[in-house]
Amino acid sequence: MASLNIRNVKKAFGPMEVLKGIDLDLDDGEFLVLLGPSGCGKSTLLNMIAGLDSITSGEITIDERVLNNVHPKDRDIAMVFQSYALYPNMTVGRNIGFGLEMRKVAKAERDQKVQDAARMLQIDHLLDRKPAQLSGGQRQRVAMGRALVRDPKIFLFDEPLSNLDAKLRVEMRTEIKKLHQRLGTTMVYVTHDQIEAMTLASRIAIMKDGIVQQFAPPQEVYEKPANMYVAGFVGAPAMNFIPATLVAENGKLGVSMQRTAKGNRSDVFLALNDERKELADWVGRELVLGIRPESVTHKSEAELNGTRNLQHFDCQVDVLEPTGADTLTYIELGGREVIARVNPHNTSNPGETMDFMVDMDKASLFDPKTEQRI
Amino acid sequence: MADSIAFTSDRTLWHRIGRIGIYTLLAVFAFYYIMPLIVIVSTSMKDLDEIRTGHLLSLPAQINLDAWTFAWSEACIGVTCTGLKPYFWNSLAMAVPAVLISIMLGAITGYALTKFRFRGANVIFAMILFGCFIPFQVILLPMATSLGYLGVANTIPGLVLVHVVYGLPFTTLFFRNYYVNIPDDLVKAATIDGAGFFTIFWKIMLPLSLPIIVVTIIWQFTQIWNDFLFGASFTSGGNQPVTVALNNLVNTTTGVKRYNVDMAAALMTAAPTLLVYIFAGRYFVRGLTAGAVKG
Ligand SMILES: Nc1ncnc2c1ncn2[C@@H]1O[C@H](COP(=O)(O)OP(=O)(O)OP(=O)(O)O)[C@@H](O)[C@H]1O
Ligand SMILES: [Mg+2]
Repeated sequence: MASLNIRNVKKAFGPMEVLKGIDLDLDDGEFLVLLGPSGCGKSTLLNMIAGLDSITSGEITIDERVLNNVHPKDRDIAMVFQSYALYPNMTVGRNIGFGLEMRKVAKAERDQKVQDAARMLQIDHLLDRKPAQLSGGQRQRVAMGRALVRDPKIFLFDEPLSNLDAKLRVEMRTEIKKLHQRLGTTMVYVTHDQIEAMTLASRIAIMKDGIVQQFAPPQEVYEKPANMYVAGFVGAPAMNFIPATLVAENGKLGVSMQRTAKGNRSDVFLALNDERKELADWVGRELVLGIRPESVTHKSEAELNGTRNLQHFDCQVDVLEPTGADTLTYIELGGREVIARVNPHNTSNPGETMDFMVDMDKASLFDPKTEQRI
Repeated sequence: MADSIAFTSDRTLWHRIGRIGIYTLLAVFAFYYIMPLIVIVSTSMKDLDEIRTGHLLSLPAQINLDAWTFAWSEACIGVTCTGLKPYFWNSLAMAVPAVLISIMLGAITGYALTKFRFRGANVIFAMILFGCFIPFQVILLPMATSLGYLGVANTIPGLVLVHVVYGLPFTTLFFRNYYVNIPDDLVKAATIDGAGFFTIFWKIMLPLSLPIIVVTIIWQFTQIWNDFLFGASFTSGGNQPVTVALNNLVNTTTGVKRYNVDMAAALMTAAPTLLVYIFAGRYFVRGLTAGAVKG
């Protein structure tokens, strides 16, 4: 149980700056996911929290105790590695108990704790085996058991599920979530899988090039991405980015872009929410409309009369990709390919023109130069 | 169809010819390598008359181990006629500690160089590696001076020291290359678990090192046991290792040349390294390829 503060932490390997000033504050019991592409410095940051890498500048504290010069073993953290890092020469039981053994916990107490942890992870029947005699999923559990048994202030996970097959990964993900709910311990979890991040996190820190792009709860990251990078990284299929012009029509602000319908090219106007008056400066300028596929659907008269800001337009259908639940419908807006999620019973054939509806409450606008959210 | 049948039978024919060729070649090589051994073993079991009258390649009429007992305990080496026995024990007293110490130190150094990478580790490794290429002859004089300075000139411990120093670059190289393939995460996990430098070494690294330990034992034991130059340069009289004694035994000519004794003595001298190969050889091959197979 602990709060974790990372203040302006930088890391350089020689001349190469890998982390360029990370600030993250985590309350007791939170589940932080560090999400980002390969090489962005996630593991480096985690290793610094663990004390396995030195901190070039800045400060890391747990419960307001500065850890910069504290040895890993004295930080009261436990870590689960991507490779599991089980000691091949020791039995599962000894692997799990090794941390306690090093801390001179009496044998009887140690055995009891190993038993408890193993039972919690359903590996109590494997305690006498060597790691080589286990399946990938079982090794993963042993690695978790080794962390669990120490009852640390903070758990650190470095892509713990990435070596498992798809089905097992989903199972273990749920199990980690349950574990967090049961223990309520602060956890920091590194992954480049955005679904893991969305499902597990209480807050996500999206990293790129050693900088935190956005630090927010998953839903906020999804609905209000801070920039185009975050918007494109989270969600599948990815958010549609449509180059558009901001225009005022009949006293309403909206975005305008070209599309083809019934064989003719013409502009569509999609009105923005009335609250967005601050956009007045942007009238006549180019910007990027970001809209997720599920916010572009077939037109439904019933819904159009509701309170939400739903706009509609017609457009020629290019390609259909049925996925079962929805049919991904490819259209072209503002010269870009755009994916709409349409109910399979409301699709039109490729080449035909169909009526669509956009939920403009969910629209994001980005500055095309800085790629930041407007 | 007909074409393909002709083709396959053609292929099996060529295959067979190829096989025959390979086995013939292998047999020739095997014979070439085993021949000297056969000559030595059979000569050591003949008596002098049989050697003088018989053919070099002929087998002994009966198994006669007199030459062996003579070489072991009676043959004259220089002016003392004790046989090879005391020198054999000298070699053992030199090789066993030298092998163990150089392996232990090499393992720790290799571990430190790979798992506790410190500033300049690569430079130090390059310098250690350079030690592998220093010819024996270059260090004879400085080493003799050092041994004298340390007061271990012409002693077995002195030879142990020489072999440990000279073996370290090799043992370090072996262990470093082995430990490079052991994941760093193991050390990180153990560090978080609270284990220190030596605890990790004893409880995790060393138990994983069996294949490379065997390889290094074979390498070091063979090098040290077979060494002649250091033994001849730094010891004399009763402190000489068996290789030097063998040379003196063969060169000590009092009257007739006893080929059977020379051969028996040579076999005795070579026996320990042969035994090490026979008992540990399969680990040797396994250890050398371990890195490649593990993936
Ligand atoms: N010891 C080191 N020396 C030099 N550069 C390093 C070192 N460790 C990591 N780096 C560099 O730092 C950057 C970040 O590495 P890091 O391992 O943190 O990435 P990551 O986000 O965890 O990626 P992945 O998802 O592939 O694990 C990379 O460009 C890497 O090459
Ligand atoms: Mg990583």
